[in-house]
Amino acid sequence: MDLMQFLPESFKKIPCHMDYEGQKRAEQLFQVIIILFGVVGFIWGYICQQFSQTMYILLAGFALSCILTLPPWPMFRRKPLQWQKERPEPSSDQKEASTPSQTSQKSKKKK
Amino acid sequence: MNTFLSRLNTIFAFTLSVMAALTFCCFLTTAFNSHKASVYLGTGKAIVKNVPDYSANREKSDLGFIVFDMTADLTKIFNWNVKQLFLYLTAEYETKDHQLNQVVIWDKIIRRGENAMLDYRSINTKYYFWDYGNGLKGNKNVTLTLSWNVIPNAGTLPKVMGEGSHKFKFPDEYSANRF
Repeated sequence: MDLMQFLPESFKKIPCHMDYEGQKRAEQLFQVIIILFGVVGFIWGYICQQFSQTMYILLAGFALSCILTLPPWPMFRRKPLQWQKERPEPSSDQKEASTPSQTSQKSKKKK
Repeated sequence: MNTFLSRLNTIFAFTLSVMAALTFCCFLTTAFNSHKASVYLGTGKAIVKNVPDYSANREKSDLGFIVFDMTADLTKIFNWNVKQLFLYLTAEYETKDHQLNQVVIWDKIIRRGENAMLDYRSINTKYYFWDYGNGLKGNKNVTLTLSWNVIPNAGTLPKVMGEGSHKFKFPDEYSANRF
């Protein structure tokens, strides 16, 4: 974490998260790619009777799915969460006016 | 799945699972192969000597010398789940003291891609044919068989005996120590 503060501001501003929908799509995408490459590699390896070919094709699928799903591409960021708007913090004199037990609990929860 | 590293971890783990499944399928495609082949074996001269066996009990034991011929086509055994074959030639015989004696007198490793058409004429044994005692002289029934281990990429390690054997006999007299 300490290293993060030395990074340039422009680098820190790069968005690096996916939304929930994007995470689901990314997972489905790499599963489909790897299984597809695995099946094709298995058939090709069986045809030329070289199991190493199967492994290379599977690893190619691994590389491709890394490229497609590791970076948070814009297609995984289309449905950002709609956060509720920030509620205004109750001021100190209002706090004292209301019943003390409820407000203290609420403020604890918020923290 | 929310960070770069957790995605990398998930993809890598999934790739390994698929790899394991494919390897198992590769084993299944060859699991029911018989790995058999026919072998022709023959022997030329066979002599037996009576010399001290310094590798064992230092007593005089029978030491056989044979030259043999071998023809076999093992190319059919190789497939995508065979890395190499370990061939070994076994001499099996019976003596008064021991009912079953087996001596490996020659072996060879054939990797996939190497020549698997064996055609040998009058080659010497690779290892000494010692008997544990004096059971070789005048032995009328010594059987040579070629067997092999199939070393796969994944799966079982079958031990197969070639189809075809050869019987020969040792002379009734010891040879002189020089020949």
